[in-house]
Amino acid sequence: MQAALGAPDTTGTRRPGVIGWLMMTPMLLWLFAFVIAPTLILLVYSFCQRDDLGEVVYVFTWDNYRRIFFDSDTGAFGTTYLTVFVRSVVYAGLTTIICLIVGYPVAWFIGRAPESRRNLLLTLVMIPFWTSFLIRTYAWITILSTNGLLNGFLQYTKLIAEPFEMLYTPGAVVLGLVYSYLPFLILPVYGSVEKLDNSLVEAAFDLGAGPMRAFQKVILPLTQPGVIAGVLLVFIPAIGMFAISQLMGGGTDPTIGEVIQNQFMQARDWPFGAALGMTLVVLFAVAFWFTSRHQSVVEN
Amino acid sequence: MKTIRFVLALTLLAATALPSYGQAKKKSVLNLFCWSEYVPQEVIDGFAKETGIKVNVENYASNEEMLSKLLAGGSKYDLVQPSEYTVESLIKAEKLEPLTAENIPNLKNLDPKFAKMPHDPEGKYSVPWMAGTVGIVVNTAKVKTPITGYKDVFDGTHKRRIVVLNDSREIVSWALATLGIGPNDMTPENLDKAKPILSEWLPQVKVYDSDSPKTAFLNGDVDLGIVWSGEAAILWKKDKKFTYVLPAEGAHQFIDSLCVPKGAPNKENAEKFINYILKPEVSVLISKEFPYTNPNAEAVKLLKPEQRANPASYPSGDLKLETFKDIGKAAKDIDKVVTDLKGRKAR
Repeated sequence: MQAALGAPDTTGTRRPGVIGWLMMTPMLLWLFAFVIAPTLILLVYSFCQRDDLGEVVYVFTWDNYRRIFFDSDTGAFGTTYLTVFVRSVVYAGLTTIICLIVGYPVAWFIGRAPESRRNLLLTLVMIPFWTSFLIRTYAWITILSTNGLLNGFLQYTKLIAEPFEMLYTPGAVVLGLVYSYLPFLILPVYGSVEKLDNSLVEAAFDLGAGPMRAFQKVILPLTQPGVIAGVLLVFIPAIGMFAISQLMGGGTDPTIGEVIQNQFMQARDWPFGAALGMTLVVLFAVAFWFTSRHQSVVEN
Repeated sequence: MKTIRFVLALTLLAATALPSYGQAKKKSVLNLFCWSEYVPQEVIDGFAKETGIKVNVENYASNEEMLSKLLAGGSKYDLVQPSEYTVESLIKAEKLEPLTAENIPNLKNLDPKFAKMPHDPEGKYSVPWMAGTVGIVVNTAKVKTPITGYKDVFDGTHKRRIVVLNDSREIVSWALATLGIGPNDMTPENLDKAKPILSEWLPQVKVYDSDSPKTAFLNGDVDLGIVWSGEAAILWKKDKKFTYVLPAEGAHQFIDSLCVPKGAPNKENAEKFINYILKPEVSVLISKEFPYTNPNAEAVKLLKPEQRANPASYPSGDLKLETFKDIGKAAKDIDKVVTDLKGRKAR
């Protein structure tokens, strides 16, 4: 994340002095209170049981993890939650790719626009966020439903004879996710584009590179930090998002966020929800470790 | 300059993502934790105006969600709105504050039929808010075959045109009803019998929605649904093509009540609110917006004839309807069955 967001500091490692530690204290406290402590609580919960009313009982059990990986009927390896997880990754992955395809040119355009117009353009990207996220999601429901605005328009213009099913489909979920997370990709990429030194691009052209080659060899590497930051900012929250898949997907193809949320609310099975959450954290950590190791191997 | 602008934009983004909390004043308040789409704004405003008490409202979509938040502590609620089986379990766990009847003189307006019901035999902890049934709504403009029970809904011809409540216990109880098993017989063996039925049923569902299943009907996304009778009554009011059917296999009734959780900071205000909503002229406002079965006998007298003729609100005939009872640990098994089946469903 650190290396992804800014230029890595390669001028030698300096240990922070007392002042450095003092300046970091608020951040460390924050991390402890809102990342480390909750994760530890989840870890403890994930090995506990629940009582009749759904309260956590501190009696050790492996059951919660067993339920994730093994079928409750047969005891064989179960794919129930694996399917849910893969589905979430596919949704989040598609969302990230679409956001990248749609968002990169927009960020480029804003970043290259005359300075006086950039503020206005950025504001336009932000304006939808002044309205509550839920209201915007309900607006999509009004647009996409069978009797909705889009179907009505298409039928009115005789483009289609019968309304077609848009809402409560996987496509609707991805649309909702892209709509919600697009600005989170545009902004970091914009940050990189704005910093990009135009003379480097000109130099590439002067040295005979075509547009494709200039993009590939100069523009893309220079905006990569923004792209990586944007991809992370979209992909990770999109995996855990539950409201959109519930509202726009109808709740029929549950995502991992939905299942976890359900455990804490509907099912009142906090230990199982915690076990799902911990598994997700571990999978992320492993994936991150694997990719970063892979990267350094490639670099060497 | 550029960095500042960028940071500003990011901050703006972050700020809108966070919910804003108003500064709570030291003023007489009532923290109401109620079902979504159940307490009319008009009633809340009327109460605030009459008593000067500020009402903070928070919503939930299922009894289980309410329990989760209530038992987690953190927020202090003064008044909650559980259904009968949840009232029963809360009484059992000693999580409710007994009500002081003297503070609620309007209790006399209640239909004796709804007083001292099995879930609260002494009527000490709960006051009924609304009663209702769970049944089938049919869009008769689209569905031409007769629908009499759950089996007809899930016969395979209405695939992906169905909305059902997002409530595991409800869903399992329907499957059991088709086997002639009552909604409180949630033994592991019976759950095993329900599984094959549910794995047949659940893939046919298009939407799970407990908050406002009527929306999917009005938007034309579904033709059939198993929903709360109040939702059915609103649909019937909007368009008579939406008919309500009590399932032939056996229907059940629910009674939602107002209760004061143990340790509620503003119990007197909660009792004032209960007394306020028991006024017949206030109670009819609730019936107008959410046409469930009103347990307030005096209020029912004030209803218009067409309101009383709504078959979803006031089903005719002397029906034998079961109610849910507290089933303790089985609640977990039920949810497991439904969660696993939903997750497993491959398309």
